[in-house]
Amino acid sequence: MGAVLEVENLYVDYITENGHIRAVDNVSFVIEEGKSLGLAGESGCGKSTIAYSLMRLHRPPALITSGKIIIDGKDILSLSENELQKFRWKKISMVFQSAMNCLNPVVTLEKQFFELYKIHGITKSRKEAKKLAEELLKIVGIPPERLKDYPHQLSGGMRQRAVIAMALALKPKLLILDEPTTALDTVVQRDILQKIYELKEKLNFSVLFITHDISLMMEFCDTVAIMYAGKIVEQAPSMKILKNPHHPYSYGLKNSFPSLQGEVKYMEGIPGSPLDLKCIPKGCRFQDRCFKATKICFEKEPEISLLDEGFFFCHNPL
Amino acid sequence: MVKKFSNSKIINFIKDSPKTVAGLILISIVLVLTLGAKLFTPYEPMQTFDGLWRAAPSAEHILGTTQAGKDVWTQTLYGGRVSILVGIFAGSIAVLLSLIVGITAGYFGGIVDNIITTIINIIMVIPQTVLLLIIASMVGRISPLAIGLIIGVTSWPWGARIYRAQTMSLRNREFIKSAETLGESKIRTLFVEIMPNMLSMITSGFIGTLIYAIMAQSFIEFIGFGDRMSVTWGQMLNNAQSTGALSSGVWWEILGPSAFLILFGSGLTLVNFSIDELSNPKLRAQRIMRKYYKEKKAQEKLLRKQAAVTTSNKGGIN
Amino acid sequence: MKYLLKRLAFYFMAFIGAFSLNFFLPRLMPGDPVQMRLGELARQGGKVDPATIEAIEKMFGINRNEPLIVTYFRNFIDILKGDWGISFTNNLYPVTEVIKRPLGWTVFLCGTALIISFIINTALGIFVAWRRGSVLDTTLTVGGQIISNIPAVIIALTLSYTLAYNGFFPKGYAVTPLLYAKGFEYVKDVAYHAFLPVTAIVLGSLGGIMGMRANMINQLGEDYIVMGIAKGVPDKKIMFKYCARNALLPVVTSFAMQVGFLLGGQLLIENIFNYPGLGKLMIQAINGRDYPLMQGILLMTTILMLTTNFIADISVFLLDPRIRRQSGE
Repeated sequence: MGAVLEVENLYVDYITENGHIRAVDNVSFVIEEGKSLGLAGESGCGKSTIAYSLMRLHRPPALITSGKIIIDGKDILSLSENELQKFRWKKISMVFQSAMNCLNPVVTLEKQFFELYKIHGITKSRKEAKKLAEELLKIVGIPPERLKDYPHQLSGGMRQRAVIAMALALKPKLLILDEPTTALDTVVQRDILQKIYELKEKLNFSVLFITHDISLMMEFCDTVAIMYAGKIVEQAPSMKILKNPHHPYSYGLKNSFPSLQGEVKYMEGIPGSPLDLKCIPKGCRFQDRCFKATKICFEKEPEISLLDEGFFFCHNPL
Repeated sequence: MVKKFSNSKIINFIKDSPKTVAGLILISIVLVLTLGAKLFTPYEPMQTFDGLWRAAPSAEHILGTTQAGKDVWTQTLYGGRVSILVGIFAGSIAVLLSLIVGITAGYFGGIVDNIITTIINIIMVIPQTVLLLIIASMVGRISPLAIGLIIGVTSWPWGARIYRAQTMSLRNREFIKSAETLGESKIRTLFVEIMPNMLSMITSGFIGTLIYAIMAQSFIEFIGFGDRMSVTWGQMLNNAQSTGALSSGVWWEILGPSAFLILFGSGLTLVNFSIDELSNPKLRAQRIMRKYYKEKKAQEKLLRKQAAVTTSNKGGIN
Repeated sequence: MKYLLKRLAFYFMAFIGAFSLNFFLPRLMPGDPVQMRLGELARQGGKVDPATIEAIEKMFGINRNEPLIVTYFRNFIDILKGDWGISFTNNLYPVTEVIKRPLGWTVFLCGTALIISFIINTALGIFVAWRRGSVLDTTLTVGGQIISNIPAVIIALTLSYTLAYNGFFPKGYAVTPLLYAKGFEYVKDVAYHAFLPVTAIVLGSLGGIMGMRANMINQLGEDYIVMGIAKGVPDKKIMFKYCARNALLPVVTSFAMQVGFLLGGQLLIENIFNYPGLGKLMIQAINGRDYPLMQGILLMTTILMLTTNFIADISVFLLDPRIRRQSGE
């Protein structure tokens, strides 16, 4: 049971006219084989940026400035463009946020699958590609005759499932799910996540699950990492974080999501708004919104505190 | 690390942008020379120099003389005034008309919009320059001002479409809705709320129309519908052509108006680009992109060096 | 299908619009064309009697005895039947006959220039968007725009002067007069004569690079491009099959609209290069106050515009499955 993904000291900046904005600040984490890690946080905290870094998909002006990303033993930051092309989708693939926009609108599904197989040298025959694609579609529950349709002819849920099928086509070791259910209604959400979970157990791939929906994440993932303003503030097994959060932010997030069962409680939420990355204060980044902030929080950044299965950064943990 | 952010003002922008500087210089040169014509030439535009017909450029006549014995340089300078004025006149009319039509269609929507759009579409399908010629011909040989009027009246459809689209997108924004709720009259809203937001588009549209107007004006005069007695750039070209200047190798008669038209047109185009960049931050990306690529190259080099060191350290163990 | 039919209906309406313009314009302008014609006839020493007046009025399609609205419809039916009046600067031949040959030359010139311009602009647009931010990008975009903003007059005159009068290219005409060549020789000659005018038009349309470039850049921001890259699709394929393929659609439409502008410039270019197309004919018509011919040419150019637009519509229909779907195929 080795590590499928090791991220060490990753820094990602956005280059602007007036200087750099640091979107990901010294992030490190590990995903073991067959396990799932959830990455949670508010919008703009850097989770999607990390996801894009894993496949080096950044568009300008985003730039990976330092760090190591080791996937299945290879540091992908050292790969050339050619090697990168062969590597993408084979070892690691991604399900994007809105399936609506992530498929080429003028090409049929069948052709899109064929293209995938052709590029990665699986097969050059159209018929074979069609067969393989049909099998994949069967797994996610889409009738095979839909292959000749264009993306816009599928319903939202079906599109998302098609994208998932495509992501699993080359049997990757790591599947990244970037807010896979935001654009769907709750019933379809559950359906799809259930499917992914089953597939994960069957095919034994790891998952990086990015979302701002904590409750969803708790159910699906083994480990959860909470991000704020470009840093991971706490990481622990999901059950442990749920019952026993250490960082005030984790606590706040947990309490911001009502559960479908149980009694009706007063919702707390977290005061303030996400940090503006253009002016990062001295000390802990969460200082303005933290109900446990003390003098030291405004002066010194907290050091790492290790737990037996995780870590956190806080001067005054719960 | 993260750099500080400074306020960028318009003046800084101008200094940074070679396009704007070049454009403004070109325009200024032309404007100064034409408006201050008296300072740059001792002669009058209609002054005839006996015996000096079609004389090549010399010390007394920098650009030589025309077939009728008039000084080309002087005619170019004085003619410029008229040409530019007519251009501005035509441009203003066109912009005014297109604003009125476009904003009305965009703001009121519904049937009004449908009717106006259909009319615009129909007019746009009829070749405007041909129409221009026919109208010009039916009115007979006309003064530059009349030409300007006709150009203004026939070139509004292009702009109308753009202003309509912009109005429609602005209309649904919140501050308009709040103004309406407060009871501001529709017309007042139009002028006080919507128009100021379109300022950059209006300016850029005006310059674009100006360029077109000058082009159309020289076109009509060149074909021969201008007032033969007037002195404008287009008319000079017409005189040159109809008296066979080209075939006799009398290049200077054409050079004067041509050079100025090119200078002025280019200057306006450059400034137009700058206005676009100023108002649309996405376009300012040009400079950021250059910065970005530089940094990217440096980073990739660094990361590759880092990877090489690591593999050599580990002695080839993955 | 429904989509195409809707467009056709629109074009028919536009045609009616053009015809109406044609009909009412001379009636709104100062001066009575009949009177002017009579005046010219008189100057030329012809007879002016009621019979002549009636003949002229008939030529113009004017009938003072009937209400205007009847004239309007009568003229319209005539147009549809193919009777576009008589051109009196051309030996009283019917307008349709007079337009035929020049139409061919104009369509040839304009069509060739259009295709070449489209290919160049699209190719450069794709190239420049891909290398966005580079010095090449700025040079080509800004340079192209500047060149196309130079009044067509000057572009044409410059080309003519520098290349024609030095003997590299012919000074005018579509083919060398009196050249009895057939087949390939003929084609070569035509190409030789068409080179400068086509170049002038293509230079004047370089502004179109910006359009394609802008579309490409818009597409580059879309998710499917990122997914394509993530899938491991090589760069070149992304550029063409993903980005350009989708960016092309709005370009085709806007291109068709530019044809109107192009046709106008065509007039000028034909004039300078003495090319025997509709442009030259138009000038002749205007100078001779040949109203039927003028109106005929206006109508014909409008038809050309509409046809080009329609071809563009068909292209978009074929290229974009979303539109095909909308019309219920």
